[in-house]
Amino acid sequence: MANLSTRFFGLELKSPVVAASCSMTGNLDQIRKIAQAGAGAVVLKSLFEEEIYVQLQEELNERKELAADPEYLDYFDYVIKEENLNKYISLIREAKSEVDIPVVASVSCISSSEWTLFARKLQDAGADAIELNLFIIPSNLDKNHEANEQFYFETVKKVLEVVTIPVTIKISPYFSNLGRVIKDMSATGIAGITLFNRFYSPDIDIEKGSLISADVFSSEKEYLQPLRWTGIMAPNADCPLAATTGIHNAETALKMLLAGASAVQVASVLYQEGISAISKINEGIARWMDTKKYGSITDFKGKLSIQADHAVAYERFQFMTYFGGKGF
Amino acid sequence: MQEYLKMEREQAWRIELRNQIKNKERTALPRVKMPEMDPQERICYQDREVNLGLDVENARREASRCMDCVNPTCIEGCPVSINIPKFVKNIERGEFLEAAKTLKETSALPAVCGRVCPQEKQCEASCFYTLKLKKDPVAIGYLERFAADYERESGQISVPEVAPKNGMKVAAIGSGPASLAFAGDMIKLGYEVTVFEALHEIGGVLKYGIPEFRLPNHIVDVELDNLKKMGVRFERNFIVGRTATFEDLKEEGYCAFFVASGAGLPRFMNIPGENYNGILSSNEYLTRVNLMNAANDEFDTPVLKGKNVAVVGGGNTAMDSVRTAKRLGAARAMIIYRRSREEMPARVEEVHHAEEEGIEFINLANPVEYFADEKGRVNRMRIQRMELGEPDASGRRRPVVVEGSETDIDVDVVVVAIGVSPNPLIPSALPELKVSRWGTIEVDPESMQSSIPELFAGGDIVRGGATVILAMGDGRRAAAGMHRYLTESK
Repeated sequence: MANLSTRFFGLELKSPVVAASCSMTGNLDQIRKIAQAGAGAVVLKSLFEEEIYVQLQEELNERKELAADPEYLDYFDYVIKEENLNKYISLIREAKSEVDIPVVASVSCISSSEWTLFARKLQDAGADAIELNLFIIPSNLDKNHEANEQFYFETVKKVLEVVTIPVTIKISPYFSNLGRVIKDMSATGIAGITLFNRFYSPDIDIEKGSLISADVFSSEKEYLQPLRWTGIMAPNADCPLAATTGIHNAETALKMLLAGASAVQVASVLYQEGISAISKINEGIARWMDTKKYGSITDFKGKLSIQADHAVAYERFQFMTYFGGKGF
Repeated sequence: MQEYLKMEREQAWRIELRNQIKNKERTALPRVKMPEMDPQERICYQDREVNLGLDVENARREASRCMDCVNPTCIEGCPVSINIPKFVKNIERGEFLEAAKTLKETSALPAVCGRVCPQEKQCEASCFYTLKLKKDPVAIGYLERFAADYERESGQISVPEVAPKNGMKVAAIGSGPASLAFAGDMIKLGYEVTVFEALHEIGGVLKYGIPEFRLPNHIVDVELDNLKKMGVRFERNFIVGRTATFEDLKEEGYCAFFVASGAGLPRFMNIPGENYNGILSSNEYLTRVNLMNAANDEFDTPVLKGKNVAVVGGGNTAMDSVRTAKRLGAARAMIIYRRSREEMPARVEEVHHAEEEGIEFINLANPVEYFADEKGRVNRMRIQRMELGEPDASGRRRPVVVEGSETDIDVDVVVVAIGVSPNPLIPSALPELKVSRWGTIEVDPESMQSSIPELFAGGDIVRGGATVILAMGDGRRAAAGMHRYLTESK
């Protein structure tokens, strides 16, 4: 029988399939089912600093009628923050008492002081590891790439200074030199990097002439970008990598592992097919390993990464050779 | 109301007064300046008032600036609807006791309001001078204080008339401005009113929160005496819900309750090191000094007297705390506030007084961590610079962190004055009472009636935070609402 154990989040996981941070992982009942389905770990729904700001705006609007003393609302974001943190701490504690798989806290902040504050609290609450959800969309025209990157590096450094549990990061592909950023980030002392964050995307309704939300779930075809960068960076990074986005079945999970990922994070498929998708992926991986006579994940992990003489395939961007002379 | 005001305005003496000076001459007069004690002298005393009050001559001259408008918009700006032109015109004609009487028609605490109300945001903001002439408004607050002080000092204190007793007992819980306004109105309507106070002193935030250099306790006591003379009973050291339950009080004959238990739960920032010795809430700091005489060496109540005192916050409570620290001997008394000076919620006058007294303002800065010596006493705070981003729903620009801008400041006392949360005692004693997620009691905004029909509420416990005058307005509305409810329930 194939052994599916692997290491990510600085922890031993019994399966490489991890429930990614999503609304589902903010609910204790679902977390329990995720563990029962055989997930290697669960990353709790992210605690967003930005959400606290949104809640504050709602509260300020509601309170206008009461004409409360401005002094009362001046620091109300701290009240909302405390409420959010306390709820999150309760979720960590309850999840820890209910499931036997690692419980990873996920946090996404705007300022580095808040990252460190949140990280300390989540560690104190008993989280096994922390995933920093680094998600700035690089659309601020007043900031150059260095400023954004520096912010990320400083944040990671500060968080590592204040917590002792493993810290991983989840990043987007939006960097001017993604490979180098992953490489440098992997050497900071973090326990892993997850590629890539999937953002909310706008779409356009041409009939109504309005902006709409694109499909919130990933499709099975979206795995190629994380696959490429996992393949390129797994042999070059100083920490393990995990892949996410578009991983809906065992086949894609195996591709990520072959490219060098130590784990895969799944979310959309849990909504589309139910939590049982985790056990199906586990079963599919085990079946394939048995067929291929692999006893453990390490037997084949990274077998098809860039270092195994696959550089051309990973780094080729143009189609000319492939399509040349085929009449396209 | 409009008819009543019109009738009052048409009284012969008002007409005569209006005709004595042309409006052009009235509007040409500059606004009076409030005499103040010298900053260097006043910082030596915790209990000496900064504002010294107007003399008769200046008060009458200022009153003559008022044009006795046909449409007195100033009244709309007053949460307790004081007949402002009537009291001001009484001052102009020299009938100061009549002016005080007018104030007491609708306000139980004129000497208090004249000192601590943010008139610049209320009646004075709605004055014709402000709205139409774009000039300094009539100094309504100064005049209110003048009338109340004159009456007190004259010894001829009028006691408002009360209706014959109707045999019904009602209770007010808490003895701050909301309760006192409620009690004043209910006693006038003929109810037996008892005010229950958890502490040993009556007055609530007026006593424990506001320092004597802004509002001397003896001024509050005179207003309280007046309520006593009207028949209001005060019970000290009495925690409703603990000392006696609501059921106990009902058995004693109380048929309705007004809850104004305030916001006595201090808030902290929950940042690293905030539990070190030497870091305390403004509630604790001010209560020790204001209510428990900690500044007086003859009293046993201790208070930390730092050399480098940082006060976090930008409201009146922060100003009160930092100015108290200065009076307790701080060499460096600092305000640490994350927005700019213009966006501080404190009254402009308080900020101005603080500046005169040598308070250091460190704006656009926010604490992120505290450090302590080997004994656990705070000795340093780390602040980070902030810049202002887009305006938020309050209309003020949002403070945004400037990354990499941390600096350390030496401190030995830190007072956290970032607001308070509602007192949880009453809601916890009444599980069926509807409260918001923030612990405020939910009421009908007109009648102030809660989800428990015989229970009304107002002030901080409803709004989260309220100015003295807004709390008083709540108390008056609750009195009207309760009277209606009890009358209809008969």
